[in-house]
Amino acid sequence: MGKPTVGIFGLTGCAGDQLVILNCEDQLLDLVALIDIRDFLMASSENRTDCPLDVALVEGAVLTNRDAERLRAIRQRSNLLVALGTCAVWGGVAALDRGADRSQLLEEVYGEAGHGYDSSHAQALREIVRVDLNITGCPIEKEHFLAAIAALLNGDTPVYPSYPVCTECRMQENNCLLMERGLPCCGPVTAAGCGARCPDLRVPCIGCRGPMADANPVSLLEVLEQKGFDRRQAAARLRTFAPEGVA
Amino acid sequence: MSVIVIEHLARVEGHGGITVELEGDAVTNVRFDVFEGSRLLEPLVRGKRYDEVPPILSRICAICSAAHTLTSLKATEAAFGIRVSPQTELLRELLFRGESIESHALHLFLLAIPDYLNYPGAVALAADKPAAVLLGLRLKKLGNRIQETIGGRAVHPVNALVGGFGKVPALDQLIELRSGLLQAAADADAAIDLMASLPAADFCHSETVYAALRSPHLDSYYLGDEVMVVTDGNRAIVPASDYASLTNEKAVPHSHAKHSSFRGSPFMVGSLARLTVNPRRLTGKLAVAMKRLKLSLPADNPMDNNKAQALELINDVERALEIIEQLLRDGIKDERPMPVQPRAGTGTAITEAPRGLLIHSYQYDADGCVVAADVITPTALNAASMELHFRRGVEQCAEREEAVITKRLQMIARAYDPCISCSVHLVRR
Repeated sequence: MGKPTVGIFGLTGCAGDQLVILNCEDQLLDLVALIDIRDFLMASSENRTDCPLDVALVEGAVLTNRDAERLRAIRQRSNLLVALGTCAVWGGVAALDRGADRSQLLEEVYGEAGHGYDSSHAQALREIVRVDLNITGCPIEKEHFLAAIAALLNGDTPVYPSYPVCTECRMQENNCLLMERGLPCCGPVTAAGCGARCPDLRVPCIGCRGPMADANPVSLLEVLEQKGFDRRQAAARLRTFAPEGVA
Repeated sequence: MSVIVIEHLARVEGHGGITVELEGDAVTNVRFDVFEGSRLLEPLVRGKRYDEVPPILSRICAICSAAHTLTSLKATEAAFGIRVSPQTELLRELLFRGESIESHALHLFLLAIPDYLNYPGAVALAADKPAAVLLGLRLKKLGNRIQETIGGRAVHPVNALVGGFGKVPALDQLIELRSGLLQAAADADAAIDLMASLPAADFCHSETVYAALRSPHLDSYYLGDEVMVVTDGNRAIVPASDYASLTNEKAVPHSHAKHSSFRGSPFMVGSLARLTVNPRRLTGKLAVAMKRLKLSLPADNPMDNNKAQALELINDVERALEIIEQLLRDGIKDERPMPVQPRAGTGTAITEAPRGLLIHSYQYDADGCVVAADVITPTALNAASMELHFRRGVEQCAEREEAVITKRLQMIARAYDPCISCSVHLVRR
């Protein structure tokens, strides 16, 4: 069997997940020896834009018709489609505008010229096409990307933590920022996998990895309210990276 | 009429293209098309509390995420009247240097140099010249290590907060960075050797206006509140509070990036502009390297921005070392962030992101929630200048073969190191 063919794509976003791939400085040259990267516009100007792919890695959210068309075309030519990063998995920060009047926002910012722009609400990939694997994170963790490639090369699927950031934080024996210092920490409802990077630095979790399965945001909102936070603002904070994942 | 279209620029961050219209040999129209989706992040931070703003606006762009974060903090602190400690200022400058090293190494070695040697990308280049790519990856990794140590993460730093840092780095972490930087000095020199060995990119000449941060320290990406604009030897100063006069942004139908001009002229920001505005930095090793690269300032060739980035690699490594030496000399203190007392008001911050001037300006209410936010990014500032240089590049191309013109246009675009996610941003009028 030949090397698996791979495409790496960015829809609308910050390119952070593609950057994490390029940040695998110690593994990058080994990686390109193991997989056959056919289409990676950010890194190469010679791409096969029509060949079938074993794996497509797609970051970013869908914000334009052009994004949606590209995504459908990628799905069509790919055996496995992997959503890379919080924008692809949940919609990400651009989805903060759900519920707002988009044409008004466009006009406010661009004036008359804004009317003709190809622009719509941010959508996660799964709202447009079937997604086979989610690797969340804003950005994704390098190790999670490498584990996914290793697993896929072995015909396996990677397993990511199903518990909250809170658990990782406790394992590091940190003092609780939420209960002891009254800081607005999203750790109890956010998917682990980052090693509790922020609370470990005494910085409250902002939920950038999106919600864990079975999160209980209502209980967290009650705690935040007891700590003196406005419930509406606290709920908005929990929705910063994943508009639909948390109440 | 004939039209040359570069549908989707490769080896740049984000989604953009170039369209050139020709009438015989005359260029009638040139457009830098930006079709990156608009995320409308600036209006979306309205109503958000001050601590939520930096992480949201950092997501404008990953490659410049440290610059966006730190510029955001600087603007908020200006609005609230917070003065951070000298140690915080040093650590922030160090974080800027780490980002600049990573970004320049990524751009030069993985995105730009393959053009000069006729490779489609770094993977193909690595097959024939692994040493060149490994050199770039080593420098890139060092830049990321600095960002991880100071910012807590290489992309979208988490440790930099309004008033200071969550946790300051430990002594042994700084010592480790120092040893990495000492080794990197040789790599930065090798980068100059490599750049000096490349075929000349001599196909686009144009008088260029340059703009960069005027820093009291000459060599800071972070400190300072004025922009200096250099036009044909003349210098003009624009204070941060008057940034609108610098940008004069106007929305154009073909692009989600607004276009900027200063007194009617497009201007260039970035490495070349920084060296032009602050030439006193160019002493010692830098002066020697500049001669080797045959760079003279002010330059009339936008491709020289690649040379300027290579020079900045040397400078960033030197400056990062100086900062660490000073932190070690003074003794790193376990400081907590300054107390934050929100107040109603406006704060504007100007810094130097790897690609050039970055401006964040916020208006806050008395509770510390955003009333209005405005972000002006280097690639948006450069858009009009890029179009001017695309035009000159086509006009000065003696061959009318499309492949030649297309390659040159792409090289000019890449020399600007455009960050198209950044350029798509929204400004309240």
